[in-house]
Amino acid sequence: MYHDNYEEDDLAAEVELVTSAQYPQDADVDDGFDSEGVVSSQKQPIAVEIPDTIKNFITYFHRNVLENNIYELHTLYEVTFNKLTDRFYAKQPWPEAELISPLVDDDQVFLTLYRELYYRHIYARLSPSIQDRFHSYENYCDLFNYILNSDFPVNLELPNQWLWDIIDEFIYQFQSFCNCRNRIKNRSEEEIALLRDNPQIWSCYSVLNVLYSLIQKSRINEQLLVNKNGGDMLEAAGEYGSRPLYKMLGYFSIIGLLRVHCLLGDYTLALKMMDNIELNKKALFSRVIPCHVTTYYYVGFSYLMMRRYADAIRAFSTVLTFIQRTKQYHTRSYQFDQIAKKCDQMYALLAMCIALCPTRLDENIHNHLREKYGDQLAKMQKGEDSISVYEDLFQYACPKFISPNGPNFDDPASLSQVNEPYQHHAKIFLSDIHNQTMIPTLRSFLKLYTTMSIDKLAAFLEMDADELRTQLLMFKQRSRQQKWITGNLLEGDIVSTSDLDFCIKQDMIHIAESKVGRRYGDWFLRNITRFQDVIATLEHKN
Amino acid sequence: MAQLAMNRPEVIQSLIDGVDRYNPDNISILEEYLATQCQNEEYDLMANLAALKLYQFNPHLTNDRVIINILAKALTAVPAPDFNLCLYLLTEPMIIDESIKQLTALHQLLEQSRYAKFWETYKSDSAYEQLVSEVRGFSRAIRSIVARVVSMTHQQIASSLLESYLDLSGDDFAAFVKEQNWELKGAIVQIPVNKDNEAKTVVIRENIKFEQLTKVIGYSNEM
Repeated sequence: MYHDNYEEDDLAAEVELVTSAQYPQDADVDDGFDSEGVVSSQKQPIAVEIPDTIKNFITYFHRNVLENNIYELHTLYEVTFNKLTDRFYAKQPWPEAELISPLVDDDQVFLTLYRELYYRHIYARLSPSIQDRFHSYENYCDLFNYILNSDFPVNLELPNQWLWDIIDEFIYQFQSFCNCRNRIKNRSEEEIALLRDNPQIWSCYSVLNVLYSLIQKSRINEQLLVNKNGGDMLEAAGEYGSRPLYKMLGYFSIIGLLRVHCLLGDYTLALKMMDNIELNKKALFSRVIPCHVTTYYYVGFSYLMMRRYADAIRAFSTVLTFIQRTKQYHTRSYQFDQIAKKCDQMYALLAMCIALCPTRLDENIHNHLREKYGDQLAKMQKGEDSISVYEDLFQYACPKFISPNGPNFDDPASLSQVNEPYQHHAKIFLSDIHNQTMIPTLRSFLKLYTTMSIDKLAAFLEMDADELRTQLLMFKQRSRQQKWITGNLLEGDIVSTSDLDFCIKQDMIHIAESKVGRRYGDWFLRNITRFQDVIATLEHKN
Repeated sequence: MAQLAMNRPEVIQSLIDGVDRYNPDNISILEEYLATQCQNEEYDLMANLAALKLYQFNPHLTNDRVIINILAKALTAVPAPDFNLCLYLLTEPMIIDESIKQLTALHQLLEQSRYAKFWETYKSDSAYEQLVSEVRGFSRAIRSIVARVVSMTHQQIASSLLESYLDLSGDDFAAFVKEQNWELKGAIVQIPVNKDNEAKTVVIRENIKFEQLTKVIGYSNEM
């Protein structure tokens, strides 16, 4: 844990803190859209005194970074930094890197890492100005250049959680920038000029370039292949990849690309990124909980958009079960709110999947789902104004889509058009859903019979026979889905995913329902365990 | 994705597997490959998505005719979701373009299995035929979609109905039925039983895995 009394106290005290002139007092530019911060970015008052606690923290932090003291860094990063933020910087940014530079002997690497935290804090708690966004991007460039363009692997070790946060935040800021770039209404000319003159900042190509470079430098794909098929790991990993810093950054970049492609609407490519990663408990992503959750969220979402509902259900229920089981660990985490939100979104997506592809869920997950989205699920299953329910759930639970290109500043006409990628995706998704809104009703009728004539069913449903025939053809097609069996995430066989099947002989529908046999084994196993517990308790009492 | 490209050239394979897929200079390779697909009645979704990706990142390269061909090709892959996967990579202003709207209308009809209506629309305006003109064997491909869905769903179907689904009649219709190994019996077409159209009741039995038993075996050890 972090202690307030360091030996370095005197060192910090020596540092003079005259800072007034260095600070550019730029206008308080609020881009007024980001919901992430409630308080607008208040620049610090001139010549602010940095509290001693913070000075001590920074010097201590710096020393641990220099010594690659992972264990201590873990606490400093996850606990102390957040505690101090709450205490001192809940409503204002941390001191600028230039101000703390004397405390850390002007150590540029540390200052870059510090700035990463500094801007992340602005994004999370305040609202970043265009300048903040630009500077943060430049800082990421410095950081990645330092890591990627050195003649030898850099001698730096950081906790996995931090490494994940770096990649995660990098993509988050990219997404946030793409969304804010498109809203040019109410922007000052100066800001528009900044955006127009700097198209390379936060551009798609540069972001992808960083992620791919990290993957290549770390030879993570080669490492994963050796892991899967055997071979010489040291040779596969190479000089850089055998360092944990490179290996983990490379690995997290793969997950990062899964996310970026998903945000861009390229679902097949998103899943293709995961070619060398197997979704199981032993996978590296499970070492960092937010990474674990992110992975499954985007895998599940991609499957949903590819109409592979059975696979989406499997992805969501796996991770939701995991979150439930490990609840006691992450309720304390500083990322608890974020995980809880993602979790809630995944329940919403799961509800849609279940309505589209009725499937028996794990009991626990099913109860939670009914608790959270019981009403919506019922509406979707009944097909009563279900489209608006789908729309609400989709809007709530989908990722924040981005469009890769900024507005065309040379064409004033296009500037007035707001290019809203969410609308685009929602429209296509919902029109697809719209085609299948009758299916639940049809299903509920078919469940009641073993044979029935088309005319009779049409009369029940109050539609004409031809319409019913097309509905039946569609029902049949939608009950067959590509489903993952083994291999890469994109692979799969076409299988029947419905417990209800039928065939048409001229004007008669013959219906068959698959039944789940009684689960004797499961029942006995559970009761054996319970019995064993009773015996154990009795023995204990004796 | 229903039809996997079996003979994907190595050039294309390495292109879509690596970072080269982002290189705008490669667009011509992908465009030529699409032209080959259209010519030879082949289909490769992954390669076509890679082309759309390049357009997404480099709007100035966008070639409307290529997009139309990709979408027309994706129509022949229904019921796979390929058409929508392509649309997601386009932008809002693009999909309200008249040609793409027309293709989307055709796609909706196919998705909804309104086959008779599909043919009616398709033939109502020469613009439609113009849109798919570069895709060789387009009608044939659509008919095989219809055939697949019909044979998944039916054991017997009235021939007049099937004729309207296929937009075929007389000798053409008889030939098509024969080609599918179906049997024309008077006013009825008989379709052989396959795994999708038999509708058999199955009882799913519980399958106990060894891992579930480890705990119980553990207890027996303690005794």
